[in-house]
Amino acid sequence: MSKSKEQLYTERLKRYTTAMRNGKPDRVPIRPFAAEFICNHSGYTCQEVTQDYQLAFEATRKCCLDYEWDATVPNMVYLWGAIPQAVGLRYYQVPGVGLDPKTAFNYLEPGEEHSFMRADEYDEFIADPTAFLFNVWLPRVSGDVIAPGKPNTYRNNLAFFKAGLSELSYFMAFGTQVAQMRTECGTPSAICGMLKAPLDVLADKFRGYIGLCEDLMVQPEKVKAACEAMMPHLLHLAIGSADPTKTLPLGFWMHRTCVPFISQEHFDKIHWPTLRPMVEELWRRGHQTLFYAEGVWNAHLDTFAELPEQSIIFHIDRTDPIAAHRALHHKFALSGGVPNYLLAFGKPQQVRDYCKKLIDEVGHDGGYIMDAAAIMQNDTTVENMKAMTEFTCEYGVY
Amino acid sequence: MDKEKQQPKAPGVCVPWEEKLKELPPIVSREDLVKQTWQNIDGLAYVCAWHLVLSF
Repeated sequence: MSKSKEQLYTERLKRYTTAMRNGKPDRVPIRPFAAEFICNHSGYTCQEVTQDYQLAFEATRKCCLDYEWDATVPNMVYLWGAIPQAVGLRYYQVPGVGLDPKTAFNYLEPGEEHSFMRADEYDEFIADPTAFLFNVWLPRVSGDVIAPGKPNTYRNNLAFFKAGLSELSYFMAFGTQVAQMRTECGTPSAICGMLKAPLDVLADKFRGYIGLCEDLMVQPEKVKAACEAMMPHLLHLAIGSADPTKTLPLGFWMHRTCVPFISQEHFDKIHWPTLRPMVEELWRRGHQTLFYAEGVWNAHLDTFAELPEQSIIFHIDRTDPIAAHRALHHKFALSGGVPNYLLAFGKPQQVRDYCKKLIDEVGHDGGYIMDAAAIMQNDTTVENMKAMTEFTCEYGVY
Repeated sequence: MDKEKQQPKAPGVCVPWEEKLKELPPIVSREDLVKQTWQNIDGLAYVCAWHLVLSF
């Protein structure tokens, strides 16, 4: 007799949470962060799933049903095309608008001379980040929002209604999607909530990476003060978005705050002191944080090992899996590691071989969750996704 | 603008209740309800603005 969706959900959630808490479940859970890959499986274009989040939700649920994943992100094609349209955001290029409809959306980082915050504006930002956001940042990132003191426009007034309503509509829809994943597919959500590091936010959305690098050399004390000013806001947003049942981890998206993007000294003196307290406070409140460590973080594994036991799950992108296991496994679970180039260009047998290597070397005694190295866009083939999933379900049994 | 620059806004706040209170006629009943309503909707605006930075 086949299991009910609720039985599957309970079984998978137990498997996933046991592994996340560094325990040994019945087998290695599989938790793909499937972004535009859902297009390959559903037949939709990147444009369709970006412009219509209900299609993205539906395609995600189809993957959940067909692959029988233990957990996944409710919509890893996180950008709904209405948001940049509503606010007139300048920093996105969406599929179908100046971009091939079968290409994933792009984030466009402006050059230093056009950065959304100038090098001499730190004091204003530090004094009141929220005021800076409304008065300076929004008018620069939006083609519709007018800076205070400038003549008002119809489009300015409209932008705030549209921004609020579009975000509300999108965020509210996630509750239904998570419920449908449970009742229709028996699949738990992989994460709940969001954390970013102040230094990453400063680079990503305010100064740009090049601008930040200059600031780190010329005015590091201002950079640190800006990060400190952002901490209470980022923590507030993380706590507000975290899973109230304290079951699922917050997604912590790690971009360019590792060596060699920044120096070890800047990591030690600016990045870590403005990140660690937030992670520790989240753990004090019972929330795990999934360190989605994009890129290579070999230089910082020993630092992460200082965090409280079980407080994080460390996701392997191009960090050395063996080094990560050696440095962190005694305290934390690990996830990921299957190279995206292999999922895009390799053969299914190569994928199976790599998964075997990961399970043997990193997941042999629990505390490991199978996943690709980075989010899977539409270069991941259906055959390779199937190989990763099926092999893990067969070989990953403890 | 000068008024807005007087104090940094706390997390979750766009316009503090204390600032809004000065603009209202005398509240003759249940100030706590009026305050809670203001803070709830003000907090949504805060989340909306900051999530443009964080999520999108």
